[in-house]
Amino acid sequence: MNPIIFITILLTLILGTVITMISSNWLMAWMGLEINMFAIIPLIIKQHNPRSIEAATKYFLTQATASMILLLAALMNFMYSGQWTIMNFTNSMPPFLALMALTMKLGMAPFHFWVPEVTQGSHLTSAAILLTWQKLAPLSILYQIFPSINHNLLLYSGILSIILGGWGGLNQTQLRKILAYSSIAHMGWMAIIISYEPSLMLLNLIIYILMTLSSFMLLIGNSNTSTASLAIMSNKTPLTMIMLMGVLLSLGGLPPLSGFMPKWLIIQEMTKNNSIILPLIMAMLALLNLYFYMRLIYSSALTMFPSNNNMKMKWKYTNLSYSTLLPTMFTLSMLSLPLTPMMNLLL
Amino acid sequence: MALVHKLLNGIYILRKCPMPSAASCLFLGPHFADYCSSSLQKPVTAPGKVDYPQGKSKRDLQAHHQTEVALDITSEDKPEVSFDKAIRNEIKDHFLRLKDEFVNRWIGPEGRPLHEVLLEQAKVVWQFRGKEDLDKWIVTSDKTIGGRSEVFLKMGKNNQSALLYGNLSSEAPHDGESGHSGYCAMISRIPRGPFERKKSYDWSQFNTLYLRVRGDGRPWMVNIREDTDIIQKKNQMYSYFMFTRGGPYWQEVKIPFSKFFFSNQGRIRDAQFQLLLDKISSIGLTLADKVDGPFFLEIDFIGVFTDPAHKEEFAYENSPDLNPRLFK
Repeated sequence: MNPIIFITILLTLILGTVITMISSNWLMAWMGLEINMFAIIPLIIKQHNPRSIEAATKYFLTQATASMILLLAALMNFMYSGQWTIMNFTNSMPPFLALMALTMKLGMAPFHFWVPEVTQGSHLTSAAILLTWQKLAPLSILYQIFPSINHNLLLYSGILSIILGGWGGLNQTQLRKILAYSSIAHMGWMAIIISYEPSLMLLNLIIYILMTLSSFMLLIGNSNTSTASLAIMSNKTPLTMIMLMGVLLSLGGLPPLSGFMPKWLIIQEMTKNNSIILPLIMAMLALLNLYFYMRLIYSSALTMFPSNNNMKMKWKYTNLSYSTLLPTMFTLSMLSLPLTPMMNLLL
Repeated sequence: MALVHKLLNGIYILRKCPMPSAASCLFLGPHFADYCSSSLQKPVTAPGKVDYPQGKSKRDLQAHHQTEVALDITSEDKPEVSFDKAIRNEIKDHFLRLKDEFVNRWIGPEGRPLHEVLLEQAKVVWQFRGKEDLDKWIVTSDKTIGGRSEVFLKMGKNNQSALLYGNLSSEAPHDGESGHSGYCAMISRIPRGPFERKKSYDWSQFNTLYLRVRGDGRPWMVNIREDTDIIQKKNQMYSYFMFTRGGPYWQEVKIPFSKFFFSNQGRIRDAQFQLLLDKISSIGLTLADKVDGPFFLEIDFIGVFTDPAHKEEFAYENSPDLNPRLFK
């Protein structure tokens, strides 16, 4: 893509999210979401093929529907309360609509069907932006309106996201789909904890973004899109393989790594609020996620899978396109567990 | 031949009847329920009985069958027409498929363990060993637009292959708008899951298509369609040619997936894209070589495999002169 156009699109993307995050007016928030959506569509189609155009179409349809429903919620709120400020709602209908719109935007169950398809259809870089940056704007709206949203609905949506995110990722061989299902599951964890402790939702978001970005950077560096191509990575760049293994284990929430931190704090917060069975179910369902990450690690780092000559030819070419931020992101996404006592100060 | 074709289509109409046309289903139901409740292979129970002897033990049924098979075969004319039973069986079948889907998902992709799927290097996708294998295909010709080609599909000798045969006629239909005609095709049905949900094949581990055929020297076109979620994708397909030899020996055709070229609405496009293998929904064989006359193609099986010697990713290039937008 032409560099000037690429910079313009990226800046528009940033503009959209920032407008949503800083606005106190419902219309401005909606406008930011729309700008965001329009800016990312060319990024999805960056690599022209029918699959990416299909992905962009599906993304546009779902996000436009969600924006419309959010606008409807804002208008109904104006009708009932007479003001446009993003505050807690007075009536019960607008928050329900807003929740529906935000779950569609975030890709939470029961509106999660677009996430694997769109992620799979787009280029690795666009998929990375889709799964990380695009979550910021809707979550900032959710952060502001969560007290008036029906707590039970949020809980059901969250637990369903965790179930479907774990279940859906079980048999995937395509890496982008695996990361899409992991995103659905993490959104579930965030949705459940927001009613108890919203700062933990922010912590979960930050750690999730760090881990997902690290994994995407590693995959982009080797242009890996399927499990079969991971098999050859251990011979070509063993360090990348180890890093990917670490990041995937962190995504799964394994204790000495920093992915465990949000899960631990969420479970602790929920048990403090006398909810025992739900965190138990959530923790057990997180095992499904860990299972498919482990399977990925097994097929790539721990064993050497047979692959065809196409992949083997990649040995010749060393790749210099790793992002400069990769070591930092990787360190933060793996080794920040000892910082947990400080989290109360940071958030 | 035509009768077999019609019978096969009849079964199709009842089993694949979609929900919105339930009214037409109800109308067609009684005519075709007999194919569902008494299949073509099994002998029927005693004539005159209204309902299946559900309370009876298997031994009694077998005894019945043994006595009844010796009798008059025309008792097949009056099978029991139980519409409610057919509906109930259909619903039960769908729920069974749903349960299978959940269990298979737990085991691995397509019901096999993941390591087996990842290590697999060859797979037979369609083979022709019985009538139920023919059910997975649709045959079509330009008769649908008013032409005069005929095409039929039947099982070959000893049920070891399928024979696609017929007569190609390139006489244009006299409807005032078509100038060309003359095609015959055999297209695979899109695999359906529970509640007729469309499923797709994932061939991302493989890189070559393999067909074992015996033709008559005519050039065929192999078309692959991807998942047809979105309406525009129905018109898109990837094709390549298969040249058959006429000899008495079987021919093994290997077409790498990198050779397939893209066409939209029947026209080969300037902008070419690689065939992505993770969501294949159907494959088709088309004959449209403008030569009038009879044709036949005997197919043993169609499979996919990984050719380790094949290194090409995509055989065609996009040109910045023809498609500057692709290079922006």
